[in-house]
Amino acid sequence: MHQHHHTRTKTRRHGRAVVAGLFAMSVGLLTTAGVYAALSGVATGSESVTSATLNLTLSPDVGVGFSNFTGAMAPGDTDNVYVNLNNTGSLATAAGMTLWVAGTPANALTNGTAPGEGLTVTATQCSVAWTLAGVCGGTTTPILATAPISTMNTAGTAVSLSNVPSLVATTGKVAHVQVSLGLLGAETSTNGVAPTPTIQGLSTTLAYTFTEQQRVGTATNL
Amino acid sequence: MAAVLLCAALVAPVRAGAAGSRGTVLGSESVSGGTWAATAGPTSMTFTTNTYQTSTVTNTGTVALSAISYKVTIANPASGSPTFKVFACAVAWVSNLCSGGTGTQAGGTLTKNTITTVTSTVVPAVGGKVYLQVEPSGVSASVTVTLGTSITSPTQLRAAVKTNR
Repeated sequence: MHQHHHTRTKTRRHGRAVVAGLFAMSVGLLTTAGVYAALSGVATGSESVTSATLNLTLSPDVGVGFSNFTGAMAPGDTDNVYVNLNNTGSLATAAGMTLWVAGTPANALTNGTAPGEGLTVTATQCSVAWTLAGVCGGTTTPILATAPISTMNTAGTAVSLSNVPSLVATTGKVAHVQVSLGLLGAETSTNGVAPTPTIQGLSTTLAYTFTEQQRVGTATNL
Repeated sequence: MAAVLLCAALVAPVRAGAAGSRGTVLGSESVSGGTWAATAGPTSMTFTTNTYQTSTVTNTGTVALSAISYKVTIANPASGSPTFKVFACAVAWVSNLCSGGTGTQAGGTLTKNTITTVTSTVVPAVGGKVYLQVEPSGVSASVTVTLGTSITSPTQLRAAVKTNR
């Protein structure tokens, strides 16, 4: 009888071990599965956003604006055109803008290969529209001192135009700008022959690129 | 115990940084530079007597001039001390006269064995001519005089022009 009791006890212990093992295994399985199964809560919010526009326009202020100059420039000559720069977008600009002038073909008029010679650019703003005689009936503001095109003939060498108040901070305002093209040239022709290098007898097409930058980004807390 | 894992995924809102935007406009114009040049002909004169000789100067450039310079080279004759003067006239000399007058002297009296630059304000129009007369004095042996033209910008070009378009 005692031996039979021992056997029954042994059987119970064996059974419990099996159950425990099964239980442990199921917990392990549950745990493993539970790593991938997770409780999650989802919330959604909604807001409308409108992007602003940055748009710069160029148009004649008075006269024909940028167009072909038909005369033959001599050193000391000045060719003035009058243009309006207008930020017609909804995004204000940063203070000032940049300008560079490319010449095609590139030659001594624009690339500095005749030292001390070549075309120059000057820009002046008027608080009101210019007259075709080159008179500003308001206040003039220099925005670019005379600069050789050879120093500003690529995007990488674009110069900053200072004091362009009409375009600062507020959209829809117009800057009335006189763009003056000049020619520097001190050279001597001998017995009918120009020196080498020379600015004489050259032609080029100038592309003026005005670029405005958007205003500094702002952080808004709603 | 079954392990219960609560995963709360916290996703940070991604806000793309706004790159600087630019407005760009382009204006275009063509431009040409002029030329300034003049030629003389003949450029060399040989004097064996005090007979005047002339040379014609032509403006071969595209820019009007305000002055023109002449490089006058006087050789050294075998003997004697000749002198020379250069006169300019807007029209051709007739019987050594410029429209009945003496013309306009360029520079002063030039001596033998010298190289001198003289300047005249009697200038040829673009494509036009002026006429030089070289007037010797005291020639006793053959002597050669050579003329060359010289135009320097901007000082010898027409007055600067301002154009408003």
